[in-house]
Amino acid sequence: MGRRDSPVSPAPVFCKLRKVRGMQECRMSGRMEDIMIRIEDLSVAFGDTEAVKHVNLELIDGEVLGVVGESGSGKSVTALTLMGLVADSAQVTSGRVLFDDVVLREAGKPCDKALYRQYQGARMSMVFQEPMTSLNPTQRVGKQVEEMLRLHTELRGEDRKQKVLEAFRSVGLREVEKVYSCYPHQLSGGMRQRVMIAMAVILHPRLIVADEPTTALDVTIQNQIIELLREINQKQNNAMLFITHDLNLARRLCNRIAVMKDGEVVELGETEEIFQNPREAYTKRLIEAVPSRVKRRRNAAAESGMGEPAGSGPDGKIPAGGEAAEKAGTEQEECAVQGWNTGREQGAGLERSAGQEKSAGLQECAVQGYRKPILRVRNLSVYYKDGDNSLFSRRKKQCVVFGAEFELYPGESLGLVGESGCGKTSLSKAILGMNREVEGEIVHTTLRPQMIFQDPYSSLNPTKTIGWQLMEPLRARAALDQAFAMTREEMETAAYDMLHKVGMEDKYFHRKPSQLSGGQRQRVSIGQALITHPGMIVADEPVSALDVTIQAQIMELMQKLQQEMHLSYLFISHDINVVYRMCDRIMVMKDGRIIESGETEEIFNHPREAYTKMLLGA
Amino acid sequence: MKYFIKKLITLIMTLFLVSVAAFLAFQIIPGDVVTSILGTEATPEREEQLREELGLNKPPVERYFNWVTDVLRGDLGESYRFSKSMNEMMPVAELIGDKLPVTLWLAAVSLVLIIVIAIPLGVLWARSSSHFLDAVLGVVTQVSMAVPSFFLGILVTYLFGILLKFFAPGSYVSYQEDFGGFLKYLLFPALSIAIPKIAMTARFLRNSMLTELQADYVRTAYSKGCTKRRVMYGHVLRNAMMPVVTFLGMIIAEIVAGSIVIEQVFGLPGIGRLLISSISTRDFPVVEILILYITFVVIFVYFLVDILYRVIDPRISEV
Repeated sequence: MGRRDSPVSPAPVFCKLRKVRGMQECRMSGRMEDIMIRIEDLSVAFGDTEAVKHVNLELIDGEVLGVVGESGSGKSVTALTLMGLVADSAQVTSGRVLFDDVVLREAGKPCDKALYRQYQGARMSMVFQEPMTSLNPTQRVGKQVEEMLRLHTELRGEDRKQKVLEAFRSVGLREVEKVYSCYPHQLSGGMRQRVMIAMAVILHPRLIVADEPTTALDVTIQNQIIELLREINQKQNNAMLFITHDLNLARRLCNRIAVMKDGEVVELGETEEIFQNPREAYTKRLIEAVPSRVKRRRNAAAESGMGEPAGSGPDGKIPAGGEAAEKAGTEQEECAVQGWNTGREQGAGLERSAGQEKSAGLQECAVQGYRKPILRVRNLSVYYKDGDNSLFSRRKKQCVVFGAEFELYPGESLGLVGESGCGKTSLSKAILGMNREVEGEIVHTTLRPQMIFQDPYSSLNPTKTIGWQLMEPLRARAALDQAFAMTREEMETAAYDMLHKVGMEDKYFHRKPSQLSGGQRQRVSIGQALITHPGMIVADEPVSALDVTIQAQIMELMQKLQQEMHLSYLFISHDINVVYRMCDRIMVMKDGRIIESGETEEIFNHPREAYTKMLLGA
Repeated sequence: MKYFIKKLITLIMTLFLVSVAAFLAFQIIPGDVVTSILGTEATPEREEQLREELGLNKPPVERYFNWVTDVLRGDLGESYRFSKSMNEMMPVAELIGDKLPVTLWLAAVSLVLIIVIAIPLGVLWARSSSHFLDAVLGVVTQVSMAVPSFFLGILVTYLFGILLKFFAPGSYVSYQEDFGGFLKYLLFPALSIAIPKIAMTARFLRNSMLTELQADYVRTAYSKGCTKRRVMYGHVLRNAMMPVVTFLGMIIAEIVAGSIVIEQVFGLPGIGRLLISSISTRDFPVVEILILYITFVVIFVYFLVDILYRVIDPRISEV
């Protein structure tokens, strides 16, 4: 259906007909006489801090403009100001926002909400990041989409419903009648985002603002949603403001890209132009920070001249048994024990220099061959009991991981890849002993593997200082085993030591998590995991909550520490590029089973399973 | 269906445990019924005779089972203290049956007042961008919550009874005689009960709504072009009601068990007063039944709250 059929009653300001232009022309013409959206010299401030500084952006019909930047760059505030959704506490301190020459927002004037309501939904709509929380949890999704029609059209009852169903079909939802009467929680993430998009496009608005619409989704779903947005853009010829932190995504979808940093647009241009010849240093950094398969993987082992990545033979298989391995095994055992002692002493802040010597020795030991796994998992099935804690109903046991088998070798990074719900977190919890509903065998030579969690914002106790949190694992260990008892001074030294190790200054010792940035918090999380010198770390999506440049720093830190402390990582991620950069070997997990595993290069270059190919293609 | 059966079994088990506890408690606490009925001057023979009449000479386990089977058959026993006529004691069922409607009606009127006033007030409060209204409501609710209920009862009596002459203090009309007059009289004690609860509920609802207003779906609603009013009533209120419903459940459970102080201040013959006097005179049959009643009410109200949860929030698994 064309836009002319759109049921929106045109407001007087919309007399002129829209010209439908070819895509090519759009790209060619940075400036046309009838620009739809004009953001002129826009500055937005919250109190004294300016979130957006003198931003100029223009959009014409049919164009997709990407706004790329890290969190805090002002990209979302710009979009929300354009949409009239920015918080009341925000003040427009300079410039104005125009839609077809109508001033929507101007510096020094309060937001005209009545005027905006004519535009919101009907002429410009928004797709948000989190499809779960962006839909009202207590209303059926059909009703929520229908509200658009209720607000902006004269349609009644059955007509309205039919139009909603039609919109559902147009965004690729199936069984639309059923979806119509579902609540958001009954739909999958991808379906919810489709519902959100249906809501955004149902009135055929001329502008769609998409604020990180795929960030919360699995890779394969991400692709589908991007394709859907592209398709809608081509069919309906609406303009789109695509906000993302992911340069690769922007590259795939956008005609032009604006790079934002600290509230300013630092670079603006045609997409390929930006990628081929970035003018600004920041843009270059941003492009480089994106983990990409094209770039050589920076491998800690390779850099230090250790040759083959730990634990994997040249043919990508793990050599198990064998004479040489056995010999090396005994040696390694010693190493492991030594490693432990080293760890303890280091933790106690004693003989630190000696500790360093030893860890150097350890590396040598590592080079000579480590064939004895630090972790061996045999035929492991993990169950999870239904939450209903009732007297009467027998708890149902559900199997979430089926017969997992793998080994993790000292000094190695093993990637565990899969989409949400595939059982990767359940598997890691079983290894850490946080889920005891298991069958099979888990043997690890380290005392207590530690974990790095995904969300540094919620995984640190907000009421305690960083120093306290760093010392907590030491206290916990001492409580379990008197042999590890340490004095307060020893613990403090160890905590300061760890703070330096993760690249932070002394002054953070007495700070609370709220005073730290996301990257700093994740550094603390890493410090917390390492302070007991566990030898083995389970990292559950350790960088996926972070900005790209911070992501790169944290990955670097993890690689550095791996080398220094001879750590083994079990690295869980849904981001195939991150895994590529971090891991020596990869396991692909689907529906609770490990369907493919092998050396990183091998998997990337010659994936065997169709599913792996799909993940990689994503 | 399975859900209801489960709930029913929980209810029965709880009542059983409570009945054992109530029965045991009166075996342990000091004080003798016989002494409290006959006074300290009675002869040992007379005391022994009364013990036999009341069945107190049998072992506790036997007495418990006799009592439970009687209760299950519908015979709630007889009061030790109140007599119906010269040689007949007052049955507990009759005693409570007389006073229960007073308490229940008082609770009902209070509850209606709370819901009808607190919910619009809470929404208004959350919506208001006026600092003045915000400050006024803040102080008023703070004061209402802080004032002790007996004092509030006295204030209400003074203001509506003596100054405004809306009702005559102390002129309680029994519901059997004049139901209209009875309800009219109840309005004022109900108000005394309701005022602090209204303040709490309104405050609670306001805070809950302010939290909900930060939610992403509110922004979505605005992005569609909804007015603030529509966002408030159409989207936020239902989500914000979840914690408020729990709170209302607690309030209901509290007032249905009888507001001892308010009944006393307004001279209402309700459960609360009966409970106090029965405990002090060791009228065990009455107290035990009252304990079972209160337990039942509390569990039942929570059951209703549970159902209401499922109605409000579809995310909680369907019944």
